[in-house]
Amino acid sequence: MFRYIVRRLLQMVLAFFGTTLIVYALMFAGQGDPIQALAGERPVSAAQRAYLTEKFHLDQHGVGGFFYRYADYVTNLLRGDLGESLTGRKIGDILAQAWPVTAKLALIGLLVAIIIGVTCGVVAGIRRGGVFDNATLVLTLLVLGVPTIVLAPLAQYLLGVKLSLFPPTAGADPSLYALLLPGIVLGCLSLATALRLTRTSVAENLRSDYVRTAKAKGLPTRRVVGVHVLRNSLIPVITFLGVELGNLMGGAIITEGVFNIPGVGFNLFRAIRTEDGPLVVGLVSVLVVVYLVSNLVVDVLYAVLDPRIRYE
Amino acid sequence: MTEAHTVGAAEAGRTADPTTRPRSLAGDAWRDLRRNPIFWVSLILVLVVTAMAIVPGLFTPNDPLDCTLSRQHAGPSGAAVFGYDFQGCDVYARAVYGARASLLVGVLSAALTGVIAVVVGMLAGYFGRWVDAALSRVVDIVLGIPLLLAAIVLLKRIDSDNPTVRIGAVVFVLAILGWTTAARVIRSSVISAKQQDYVAAARMLGAGNGRTMWRHILPNSLAPVIVVLTIALGSFIAAEATLSFLGIGLRAPTVSWGIDIDSGRTHMRESAVPLVVPSTFLALTVLAFIMLGDAIRDAFDPKLR
Amino acid sequence: MQVRRLAAWTALPLAAALGLAACGGGDSGESNANGVVSVQIGEPQHLIPTNSNESSGNQVLSALFTPLVKFDAQNKPYEVAAESITSTDNKVWTIKLKDGFTFHNGEKVTADSYINAWNYGAYGPNGQGNSYFFEKIAGYDDMQAEDPDGDGPQRAPEPKAKTLSGLKKVDDLTFTVTLSKPYSEFKAVLGYNAFYPLPQAAFSAPGVLKEDFEQAPIGNGPFKMKGTWQHDAKIEVERYDAYPLDKPKISGAEFRIYQQLTAAYADVLSDNLDVIVTVPTENLSTAESDLGDRLQKSPNSSFQFIAFPTYQKEFSNPDVRKAVSMAIDRDEIVKSIFKDSQVSARSFVSPVVAGYRDNTCGEACEFDPAKAKALYQAAGGPAQLKITYNGDGGHKDWVDATCNQIKANLGIDCVGVAEPKFSDLLTKIKAKEPVGLIRMGWLMDYPSMENYLGPIYSTNGSSNYYGYSNPEFDQLVADGAAAATPEEAIKKYQQAEEILAKDMPVIPLRFGQNVFAHSTKVKNVEVDLFQVVDMTKIEAVS
Repeated sequence: MFRYIVRRLLQMVLAFFGTTLIVYALMFAGQGDPIQALAGERPVSAAQRAYLTEKFHLDQHGVGGFFYRYADYVTNLLRGDLGESLTGRKIGDILAQAWPVTAKLALIGLLVAIIIGVTCGVVAGIRRGGVFDNATLVLTLLVLGVPTIVLAPLAQYLLGVKLSLFPPTAGADPSLYALLLPGIVLGCLSLATALRLTRTSVAENLRSDYVRTAKAKGLPTRRVVGVHVLRNSLIPVITFLGVELGNLMGGAIITEGVFNIPGVGFNLFRAIRTEDGPLVVGLVSVLVVVYLVSNLVVDVLYAVLDPRIRYE
Repeated sequence: MTEAHTVGAAEAGRTADPTTRPRSLAGDAWRDLRRNPIFWVSLILVLVVTAMAIVPGLFTPNDPLDCTLSRQHAGPSGAAVFGYDFQGCDVYARAVYGARASLLVGVLSAALTGVIAVVVGMLAGYFGRWVDAALSRVVDIVLGIPLLLAAIVLLKRIDSDNPTVRIGAVVFVLAILGWTTAARVIRSSVISAKQQDYVAAARMLGAGNGRTMWRHILPNSLAPVIVVLTIALGSFIAAEATLSFLGIGLRAPTVSWGIDIDSGRTHMRESAVPLVVPSTFLALTVLAFIMLGDAIRDAFDPKLR
Repeated sequence: MQVRRLAAWTALPLAAALGLAACGGGDSGESNANGVVSVQIGEPQHLIPTNSNESSGNQVLSALFTPLVKFDAQNKPYEVAAESITSTDNKVWTIKLKDGFTFHNGEKVTADSYINAWNYGAYGPNGQGNSYFFEKIAGYDDMQAEDPDGDGPQRAPEPKAKTLSGLKKVDDLTFTVTLSKPYSEFKAVLGYNAFYPLPQAAFSAPGVLKEDFEQAPIGNGPFKMKGTWQHDAKIEVERYDAYPLDKPKISGAEFRIYQQLTAAYADVLSDNLDVIVTVPTENLSTAESDLGDRLQKSPNSSFQFIAFPTYQKEFSNPDVRKAVSMAIDRDEIVKSIFKDSQVSARSFVSPVVAGYRDNTCGEACEFDPAKAKALYQAAGGPAQLKITYNGDGGHKDWVDATCNQIKANLGIDCVGVAEPKFSDLLTKIKAKEPVGLIRMGWLMDYPSMENYLGPIYSTNGSSNYYGYSNPEFDQLVADGAAAATPEEAIKKYQQAEEILAKDMPVIPLRFGQNVFAHSTKVKNVEVDLFQVVDMTKIEAVS
């Protein structure tokens, strides 16, 4: 197991540079006119264009230019310098501000998915076809029919403005309570998926040979479900949740916008829109580490949940 | 439904005598299905939506593009059963005509996602070692690429106004970046299924890699991924709206549920109907696919007999 | 993902706090001089006066700095930080400063504070966004470098001069500005924030600004920074007690940064935010019932229009353009889409500038579907039109509605096509791609007719993206700028506007208004022509 983890960590380095290289290439290929993008609808003067072009090496065109800029990024990264965004801010500062709040938000979302989704999923799976099971199906459909883009402003208006149960916006440095509503909104789709996934897995495993064997051996149902079924059923669920952690962090664009949280999703969106290559790559650099680490943790958990799974 | 047949055939492969297997199991399944009201309800729903997508004119005489501000948010009438939206378009007619683009985007993206995910997840999970290392790192890399970035770069180049081209491009982008979760999930079920006794038994009886994967492991690993895909189907339909809104997805005059949900949301405090109608169409379609998948899987599952 | 960006407009709103129209509403309650008010802004791009040219940055700067001139109810400039601004020939202007102004670090404001700041702004290699404001001053050209190969690898040579030859210090409180050509409206130009002074403390060496100066700018205004610029979160200011003019009626302010206007609107509804400068369009229909008389309107300078790219030959016949214009029912769109938050435009310059005349567009802007259709067919207009717009500016609703009208009234096909952002649209226009009609907007830099004509329709106009060119028009605008008095200038500009009415290079659609709202905790909220809240008038209610 130890050697497996070491090997994975080495592979991670490759994956890290693979992702940043591709993202860099995409930014490079998609680059229209970042200086104009920054200026919005205002005309850009020749002097200003020359100044920004030189400052950000935007004059490096073609394949050579691409590798020049990527090499530049990598050397700076190794020195611990993430560089400067096209807006002139230090990318390190932006990341230091955006990541903590986004991490909190995503964890709330994930916790909601785990606590409600997995619990309800287990119950629904055991009582498959029952009233509770059908109620969870309706909930799933509601979440799909009312996507985040509708749910977020609706929750903000009803719970934040009308009933004043939550602050309507969270802001840059929110309390945990202020993040609760956005976190729940964010976690809704993950909740629905986690719920259906758990339910299906549990239902599936309840019918498997080993459960029948265990029951035949006279083991109490509670123990069969609690130990054997749940353990095996959780494998796809934690896999999903592991990936979802990264998705919640990088993809909370709507939620962060509606609740005015200047986090990673929002910054990523803004950076992509303004063709701010250095900032996009900086944000993705951290995001990919989240994916890599959470996927590794999940893979290691397989062996914990099912001792028959071994990594050599 | 192709998955279901695979399941059936595969399950049969390990439970029944090879000479009689397909008929008896499929026959049993069909007998089960015929008696299952949920199957009929969901089948009818799917057929209705499909018909809507193919011949929308059967369901409404009205033109979804006939909009005039003087009818803004006008209530239901004989001419328009659900009334009119913010632009004064017939809400019902737009929902009917939106079925084509939305169904195509949702179903095709989910199908393509499923194919990529099953191939990658199966190979990685089954072979392990360097195959897994290579494929799983590809998954990690794709996970790190923001959908929006790839969508903007790839779709901005498409200048065609042809709806088929644009739908194809949207499907391509959604699938090429959307398969990773499903692949991780199927890999996990394959890893876990690989340990089961029947797999060891099959291999001992001389089944090759291909046969073991296809006949024994896949059928037992599909359930979780089907869940992920049916939900993804719904979110792909919503994601299309985001791309369209940015100007890189579908273009007018193409109508879709996602676009209408989005514009309905902006004015939901004035009138909720233009939001609720396309949302309901979307939710019912997903419901139909979830139920149909469930019913067919159950029917083919020998463990339930 | 539909982040509605805080409107990124074409132009450069002025920071001058302006005592305009906004009626106070029915506010009551005791004013609290120790109160702190919060005002919505977007993340500013810059907080250096010569580099800030969007309303969020300008809003903050307007609290930290005092301009030489502000504008009165008729939008005529009057002196504020200046004692007098005079010229006998419209070419050499003498600026006398009021005594008693100090920067927030205690440094005295002198003629040098202005000269140094303007030289920094005008120097090409500094890449300042407001550099072009100094181009009328003698010596500007010598401070710019021509890049020998455009964007290529060669570096531009250093410019010939580092200072404007037209700026001369007379004494500590007096300096002269020599223009390269006479310009009668120069005094109005001085209201823009590009012309704020900077203290010695801002510079690390002559002509070199300290790198972190904009994190906590030091100005000569009624408020000083409290802490530094907290990016994407807020900027806090507090009353500057040594301010020589009317002191603000609050002890401080928080400029809170919002990514989306709808979030700010929700906060105003729950009294978490005091002022929202622009109520989002999607909330307009319910805003009145949500807020009552806390929803207010005041004029602003924005102008919305549709332009025809000249490289698309199917639009070359003016009758085609006129017919499209006549097929659009502006009043219906203003009422149904904008809920009367904007007004129909039938002229090419905004009502906020002197020389504006109603309905200069004439018949071409009258809604007349029958005539429009006949004219369109006679002129052989294309059977399909598209209107291209930037998808991030909240334009979809009105573009779609406009297309629906064109479709119904001209009997042709029309679709609205979104581009992700405005620069993508510009890239397509530069490549001469058939984008169809293009959505445009304009905010003025300074209150003058010239500002609505020169930049958007002159052959070399900086925002003339669609390629309109008429030598006669160019000449009239140039004549106006060189005229001896503002009255004579206006006459020339009006003649130029008449040419536009004849040529119809664009279709005027709407003039904007500020639609702003405030919480129950403040009163006397005024928003000026440049979408900036007057921070010297606002009061907190205890």
